[in-house]
Amino acid sequence: MAIKQLSVFVENRAGRLARVTAILEEAGISIRGFSLADTVDFGIARLVVDRPSAAAEALMQANLLVRATDLLCIELPDTPGALDVVFTAVGEADINVEYAYSLVSTYVVLKVADIEAAEELLASKPLRLASQDDLARPLAGGSRQD
Amino acid sequence: MGMTPHQPIYHPAFECASREEIRARQLVLLQEQLAWAYERVPYYRERFDVIGLKPGDIRTHEDVRLVPLTTKEALRETYPYGLFAVPLDQIIRLHASSGTTGKPIVVGYTREDIEHWRFCIMSIAQMAGVVPGDRAQMAFGYGMFTGGFGLHYGMEGLGCMIIPASAGNTERHIMMIEDYGTTVLIATPSYALHICEVGERLGYDWKKSQLRVGLFGGEPCPPKLKREIESRMHIHCTDNYGLTEVMGPGVSGECLSSRDHQHIVEDHFYWEVIDPKTLEPLPENAAGELVLTPLQKQGIPLLRYRTRDLTSVTCEPCACGRTSARMKKVRHRSDDMLIIRGTNVYPSQIEDVLASIAGASAYYHLTVDNESGLDRLTLDLEVKPEAFSDSFTEMDAFRRAVADRLKSVLQVGVAVKLVEPGSIERVMGKTQHVTDSRP
Repeated sequence: MAIKQLSVFVENRAGRLARVTAILEEAGISIRGFSLADTVDFGIARLVVDRPSAAAEALMQANLLVRATDLLCIELPDTPGALDVVFTAVGEADINVEYAYSLVSTYVVLKVADIEAAEELLASKPLRLASQDDLARPLAGGSRQD
Repeated sequence: MGMTPHQPIYHPAFECASREEIRARQLVLLQEQLAWAYERVPYYRERFDVIGLKPGDIRTHEDVRLVPLTTKEALRETYPYGLFAVPLDQIIRLHASSGTTGKPIVVGYTREDIEHWRFCIMSIAQMAGVVPGDRAQMAFGYGMFTGGFGLHYGMEGLGCMIIPASAGNTERHIMMIEDYGTTVLIATPSYALHICEVGERLGYDWKKSQLRVGLFGGEPCPPKLKREIESRMHIHCTDNYGLTEVMGPGVSGECLSSRDHQHIVEDHFYWEVIDPKTLEPLPENAAGELVLTPLQKQGIPLLRYRTRDLTSVTCEPCACGRTSARMKKVRHRSDDMLIIRGTNVYPSQIEDVLASIAGASAYYHLTVDNESGLDRLTLDLEVKPEAFSDSFTEMDAFRRAVADRLKSVLQVGVAVKLVEPGSIERVMGKTQHVTDSRP
C-alpha cells in the first residue's frame, strides 16, 4: 500500500519554491504533506499530493526535475506515544528509516528501502496505513474517526 | 589521385590539386594581396616602411614571416573604415563583430568580395554533404553578424532553397522544419540542441523529420554535443570555421571523412601556425595560434591576422579526396585562457570533463572571482533528469564526483553548484560560458 511522493529539485534562490507551489496551485493539486531539505546550493522538495501523476506532469511541463518515490503512509491516533509505536517497531525490526515527515493531520510518511516488510510489520500494530485513495480526500480538519 | 570523393567537390581543380600547385598558387595570390594592401592602406604602408619592407621582398613562403602580424587592435584603432582599401562607394556590404567589449569591429565587402565569400560557403557546404536542392533553414540571426547573410548567399549559390527563418522563436522553427521539409539546419550547436529539446518536449518525433545535415558555426562544437544532437535529431552534424575579420564563415569546413579537422579553403586563405609567445612560425602539425591572410580580399585586406584560435594544420591528403590543408577543430583560444592561481585553464577542458560524466549536461557557466586575494572558480552545472535523485547523499556524491574530476584535470579546485535545467541562459548567438569578475 505504498503511496507516491514527488521529489523536486529546487535551487536555493528566491522564488524557486514558490514556482513549484504556483504550478501545483494552477493544476488544482492539493498538497497533503511537505518536507524541504536543503544545502547551501540546492534543495529537494518532497511532496505528498492528492493526484501525484497530474502533479508530476504539471511540474515536468515546466521543465523541473521530478522523481516519484514510494513511501509508506501511516495514520496515527492523536495520542501520546503514537509515533513511538512506529519508530520502536521499525527500530526493533532493524528497518532503517531514511527520512520521515508528517502530513497535515496526524499522518506520518516514512521512506524505507523495503516497503512491504515495513508495511507488514506496522499493520500488526494498532495503526492504520493510509492508501493513495485516502490521500485523494482532504486529511485536515478531522482525521477519520473509526 | 586514387581516391573517390563521397560527395561532389565544388572546385576539384583547386581542392584536389597537388600540394605544390596549391602552395604555388597561394604564393602568387599572397604577393598580389601584399601589394594591394601596401598601395592602398596607409596603415600597412607605414608598417612596411618603418621596417624597410617592400611587398616585392616576399618571394618565397619562407619570407612571409617578415610581414608584420595584424591584431584585432588594428581594427579597433582604425575604426570604422581605416583599413578599407577601396573608396566606400565600392563597398556594397558592411558587417561587424558582436563587440562584447567596447566598439565592434567593422568589415566591408566589395561586389567581388561577396562573390568570393559565396564561393567559400559553397565549398564548405558541399564538404558537409549539402547538395543542390537541399532545403536549408537559417537559425542564425541576420543583421551585422556574418553568419546569417554569409550562409544565406552561399546556400542560394549552391542551388539550395533557403528558408530565412532567422534566430529565435524555437517552436516556429520546429513547425517550419516539419511543414517545409527542411533538410539542412544552419545554427549554432547550442541553439540546435535547444531546438531539439523543445521539439522533444512538445512531443515531436525527430526521426520523422527530413532533416539530414546540421551546418553549425558561430561557436566551437564539442564532439560530445555533436554526438548528442546526432543521436537525438537523427542528423549528421558538421561544423565550419570562420571569423568576421577575415570574411566570416567559409574559412574552413568539415568533410564527411575527417570529423576532427576542417579543410581550409586555400584558394582564399593563406594559413600559418605560430607560437603565440615567440610569434615564430611553427611547422606543419605543430599546435599553435592560427594566423590567416585572406588572399583575394579587396574591401579590407588583412595581412597575417592573429586569430587567437589554437590549432594545428596537416597537409596529409584526406580520404574524401581533397588535398587541401586541414586544421584541427579549434577547442582553445589563446585569449580564452584563464590563469587561475598561476595555472592555465581553458573552458574546453571543462567541457571535456563534463562530456565524460553521465548525468552532467553540456550547459554550464563558470564564474571566476577573487576572495581575499585567492582566485576562486565556481561552476554552475545543469543537472540532467537521469542524475536527479531523491537522495541528498547521492546528489552530493554526484556533485563531488564532478568537482573531483575537474580538480584532477584542471589542477585547480572548482566549487560545483547544481542548478535547475534551463536555468543557464541559452543564447541565440554565442554562449557566454565564463564570467571573470576578478578585480
